[in-house]
Order: sequence, then structure tokens, then C-alpha cells
Amino acid sequence: MRDDGLNIGRRRWILVGLLAAGFASIYALDLQWSQLLPNAGGIHTAGQFFARALSPALSYESAVPLHTPPLLIKALAAAWQTILFAAAALSLALVGGAVLGFFASTALWLPAGAHEPSSGRPLGAALLGVMHALIRLLITLMRSVHELLWAVLFLAAFGLSQMSAVIALALPCAGILAKIFAELVDEAPSEAAYALRAAGASRLQVFCFALIPCAMPDILAYVLYRFECLLRTSAVLGFFGFPTLGFYIAAAFENLHYGELWSYLYTLLILIVIADWWSGLFRRELLR
Amino acid sequence: MNELRSIAVLDLYRTRPKNWPVRISVGIMFALMGIAWLAGDFFPADTFTQSRQANVERFLRELLPFPLHNVDFDWAVAARWGWEILDNKGFEALYTTFLISVAAIVLASVMGALLTIPAARNIATDQPFGLNHGSPSVVSRLLWQIMLVVTRGVLILLRAIPEYVWAFLLLALLGPTVWSIVLALALHNAGILGKLSAEVTEDLPAAPLRALHALGASRAHVSVMAVLPVGLPRFLLFFFYRWETCVREATVLGMLGIASLGFWIQEARARNFYDEMIFLVLLGVVLIIVGDVFSSFARRWLRRLS
Repeated sequence: MRDDGLNIGRRRWILVGLLAAGFASIYALDLQWSQLLPNAGGIHTAGQFFARALSPALSYESAVPLHTPPLLIKALAAAWQTILFAAAALSLALVGGAVLGFFASTALWLPAGAHEPSSGRPLGAALLGVMHALIRLLITLMRSVHELLWAVLFLAAFGLSQMSAVIALALPCAGILAKIFAELVDEAPSEAAYALRAAGASRLQVFCFALIPCAMPDILAYVLYRFECLLRTSAVLGFFGFPTLGFYIAAAFENLHYGELWSYLYTLLILIVIADWWSGLFRRELLR
Repeated sequence: MNELRSIAVLDLYRTRPKNWPVRISVGIMFALMGIAWLAGDFFPADTFTQSRQANVERFLRELLPFPLHNVDFDWAVAARWGWEILDNKGFEALYTTFLISVAAIVLASVMGALLTIPAARNIATDQPFGLNHGSPSVVSRLLWQIMLVVTRGVLILLRAIPEYVWAFLLLALLGPTVWSIVLALALHNAGILGKLSAEVTEDLPAAPLRALHALGASRAHVSVMAVLPVGLPRFLLFFFYRWETCVREATVLGMLGIASLGFWIQEARARNFYDEMIFLVLLGVVLIIVGDVFSSFARRWLRRLS
């Protein structure tokens, strides 16, 4: 640690400052602490809602049309749909992220090592530089618009089509993956790249056979983490009418079927905890 | 010669490290992606019908600011149109979104900090920092164990439920106040921050903490006087990382009916004012990029400290 790293006094002021910022925001938002206590109706709803937490419904709480599958099957089917949306979006995002990440990394157009002379074509280099900047801008735009906002845009343009949900999930994910791919490839250990370059390999060969394999463990770990995030968002997209878990959560809430609501909530919880555990295990195994 | 070389390469290939959990995971991932396209009904029959295409064309036409329809493009008119939206709701929505994110992340870190101490395995145990308190007692060990498991369970519960679901539930319980969104963001992020800082706490150098405790400082003393100052740069790193996410989510959560940016986006969509909608979405992009840049500067500065 450096000297300034142990400057406890400054740390105290950082803490006080951040706390003050928080309370200033609460004050500026005109929030009263008394609003935190729900009103009489709210207390009633809250009571009913939390009373069912320990007894989630195992069958429907109202009459359903004949041939409706049992509630648990339906919850599992919704979870399966959630997974399908996330997986479809991930496959699109992988393709988009790989292509954009390839162009956004500097490995292709910067010299592989300090000893390598830059190519004697200033015009070509300038063009590549402009393309690089444009791709970076596109990536930033893609990931700066939230999945749900993409969904709102696509819903307005295409109407309620499953494909719009998949694309809405895939676009920001592709942007993030492209950024991470490019960064990981650029930061991959460069010894192998130098060696291949010195042995006469082309830039593309260096990219495919030295940089990508070196960056692969980090890339895979990150992709699985993104899948976990996609699952969460895919569940939330249900609130917009797609048949994922969020749809049934919203429907159960509007029908005041709190037991069913908890069944769906627990399904979501289990799904996300499993995904969390899986991606954690994967990361530990890969980065060991 | 050529043959020899290829044998050497093949040997290298055959003896490369293999990790079965990783391979199985990647296999499952690819299988899921394949099944998704086969089983998921992503191409309904009416994807490319006339009415849908007409709808898309109308949408694209209406992205142009309204005063510019059927006239030549004029920057002055477009600027006046944009300023009017900003003046009417844009600035206020941006300000509200920003305030919500700050209030939420500060509340989240207070809650997260409180949950960190009973969730850290080196503090919440009957042998804190590796020291024994007299003769070991089964009851106290069991009680500490229960507290650890319960706290960790609460953290998992908090972060496993997405912000949007929290906000949806809280809106119904608290009524339409901004608290619902602030609390939704705060609860979800408290789960994440609590878990991350518990891990940091467990990885702190053990000797200073043990020394303090051996001198008579209680668990609370050690937490405030040693864990907090030593771990602070890392805690702040996570704080700014999550704040960035809070800005993003605060924008969107407005769609549930609280006057952040998302509320006006949803409202513009409901009125089919697509030009206004896209303008507000781009406004949100600006806010998020500013938040990203600020947060990454703050984190770079903090990384020099740790």
C-alpha cells in the first residue's frame, strides 16, 4: 500500500460525504419516513401477502378451464420459457458480440509488439481507426439502452412478438459481450502473440491462434455470468406480456392469488439461485 | 520431419489440460441454445405480415420530430421541439432518476454493511478471527452457525429477486410513493453489496484483526475500527459499480408509474408519441453514459488507494 492508501482521515470524509448525499437525495425527493408505513389498505394487503409466504399454493386458487395443466407444471413451464428466451438471446448475443468484439479490439490493427514497424499505409490505418471508433460508439449505444427500454421500443415497432423480446434481450448483451471480448483479447498475455508474429503468422492467425485461446477462460466465465443476468431480465420481460415467469407473477398479483404468486416467486428464486451457483462454480473451476 | 512435428503437436493436443465440469457446463450451454431455437416459438406465423410491416413503417416515420413532418428539415425547429420536452419533463425526470439512484445506493450500502458483519465467516463464529473464547461451547457454536446461515439466506433472497419484481410488490404494499422504487433498488443491491463485502471481509489480512480482538476489542469494535478502514477502498469500488447499475435501473423502474425517466417513456409510448419516446430514451442514454464515466473515474481513483 502507498502512503495515501492509509489516509484514514480522508476515508472518514468520503463516508460522511456519501451518507450526506444519500440523505440529501431522500430529502430532495420529498420522501417522508412515515410513508414507509403502509396505509390501512396496504397493511391488509401486506398481511395477506406475507401470510402466504410459508404456504405457497400447490393448486389453482380459482376455477380454471378444463385441461389446464396443474399449477406446478405451469410454473415449471414458465421457468422453462424463461430459460429458452435467455438461451436464444444468448446465442444471438454471442454471434453479435464476437463479430463486434473482433472489430472493437485493437489487436488487429495495432502492431503486436513494440519491435514491429507500423505498416507503411497511413490511409489504411486512419480508415481502420475511424471504423474502430464507430464500432465502439455502436457498442456503447447498444449497452446503454436498458433491455426493458429496447423491449418497449420493439413492442412499439413490431407489436407483441416473441422475436422482439429475444432481440431486446440480445442487443445490450451483445454490446456488453463485445466490450468484454475486446478488452479481454487486448489484455491477453502477449508472449504467445509475439512468438507467432515473429515466426511469420499474419495478424488474423495471431488473433485466432494466440489471443483468443489465451483469453478463452475469462470469456467463457463471463458468458455464463451474462446468461445468469439474461435469465433475470427474461423473467422480468414477462411483465410486458411474454410468457415468462414475470407474466404469471403479475397476473397472480392482479388476481390477488397470493398463494400462486409465492409459488411463481419461489420458482424464480430457485431458478436464479441455481444459475448463480452454476456460474459461480464454473468461474471457480475455470479461473483456478 | 513433417511427420515428427505433427506427432509432437498431436501429443501436445492429447495431453492438454481438460476440466470436466467446465466441458459439461459448456455442453449444456450449447444444448440449451440449440433447444431454444427448436422448441421456443420465436417465429410465429404472422411475423412478416402486411399489417406488421405497415406498423414498422409507421413507427419509423414517426420517429422524426412531429413539427418536422411534411416540411423540410430544419435544425432550429428540431432544437426548439427538443428543448420543449426537456423543459416540460426531461430535466425534472433526469434529476429525479439521479436522486433515486443516489438515495437507493446509499440505503443499500447501509443495509449491506449491517448484514456484512453477521455474514462474514471470520466474524460471525464462536472463534472470531481464529481466537478461542474460553472453553468451546456447542450451544454458542450452533447459535453463531444459525445466524450465519440465516444472514446468508437473507442476502440470497434479497438479490435473487430482480429489482423490477421488488418494485412491483412494494408499489402494491406502500402505494404509489417514490419509496417503492428506492427501496426496491436498495433491497436488491443490499443483497449484492452484502455478499461482496462479506467476501472482502473474509479475505482481509487476519493478523491485525486478531491482534485487536486479543487486546479486548469486541467484534463490533474490530468491525468499525479495523474491517471498515482497511476494506473501505474495496467496499467503495463495489459501491460505485452498483451505483452505475442503479442509475440504469432507476431509469427503467419509472415504467411502473413513478415519475422517473421510464415513466415518461412509457407515457409517450401509450400516447403513440414515438418521436418523444426515442428522444427520452436517448436522454436516458446520456445520463447512463455520464454515470458510467463518473463511476469509472471514481473506481480508477480508488484502485490507486487500495
